[in-house]
Amino acid sequence: MKFEKKRSNTKTSIPTASMPDIVFMLLLFFMVTTTLREVDVLVQFRLPEAKAIEKIENKRLISYIWIGQDGKIQVNDSLTKLDEIQKIMYSKRVSLPNVIVSLRVDKNSDMGVVTDIQQELRKASCLRINYSTLLKI
Amino acid sequence: MIQIKKKKKPDPEIPSSSMADISFLLLLFFMVSTVIDVDTGIGLTLPEFIPPEQQTTVPISKDRLAAVLINENGDVLLNNEIIAIPQISKTLIPRIESKIDLPDTKKLVVSVKTDRKTNYNLYIQALDQVKEAYFSVREQYSQSKYGKRLVDLNDKSEEMKEIREKIPITISIAEPEAIKK
Repeated sequence: MKFEKKRSNTKTSIPTASMPDIVFMLLLFFMVTTTLREVDVLVQFRLPEAKAIEKIENKRLISYIWIGQDGKIQVNDSLTKLDEIQKIMYSKRVSLPNVIVSLRVDKNSDMGVVTDIQQELRKASCLRINYSTLLKI
Repeated sequence: MIQIKKKKKPDPEIPSSSMADISFLLLLFFMVSTVIDVDTGIGLTLPEFIPPEQQTTVPISKDRLAAVLINENGDVLLNNEIIAIPQISKTLIPRIESKIDLPDTKKLVVSVKTDRKTNYNLYIQALDQVKEAYFSVREQYSQSKYGKRLVDLNDKSEEMKEIREKIPITISIAEPEAIKK
């Protein structure tokens, strides 16, 4: 007489129909939480307002320079000195020939620092600039 | 031997038909609540850097020059007349309009000059006024000539090209003078 192991008859498969949905949700989660190249802004600034403003369509071309309330200058991820801007911006221009430099300057700063930066940008031949402003309503 | 058949239990399953709906709902929620921030601002092209010893001065006739001077107190001087910042646009519009049909070498050049101590906000306001003057002249031109609004024109169309040619935005940013002590 053969002995057979007793097995339960219930199926033990994991339902896989919802798998794509779960993956979808995960994908969504990551899409939402990921911001491309997050930059920590280390300076405090409030943008001025203007009416005749333009949009910058191509976000890939933009490179930012921040000038804070206390005159601190930030390029990329770190605070920079004025005389280093030329070198940094030049290397940016080499890798991206038609770079647009967006100046995010605090509205209470002096023109002096803005002009100094503009001079450095001219020396680095980054000539397309954009004064970042908010829309005045 | 009599086999007693066990009653077959239904398969335990999580209802998955609504999963797609839930994920879509989530997708929708995030699409609606996400703000894609668009960078806006006043665009400008800086002049090329030329070392001081190679610089040459080109005389510009007074007729085509509109010099906007802003000092550290926020006073604005437009062609030697003291005006307020909101008036810049109105003053410039007739001057730009009068030069629409003139050749390229006779168009208006707006020069914006500031002190080193001038407030940045004032400078932006003045620049904004200049830009606004140009934009409203362009708008006028487009409406009277093509019967279309400027925003409806294609960026690469012939009309836009002509407008750019007829009314070029020439803003010269002069270097500020060091403050006299």
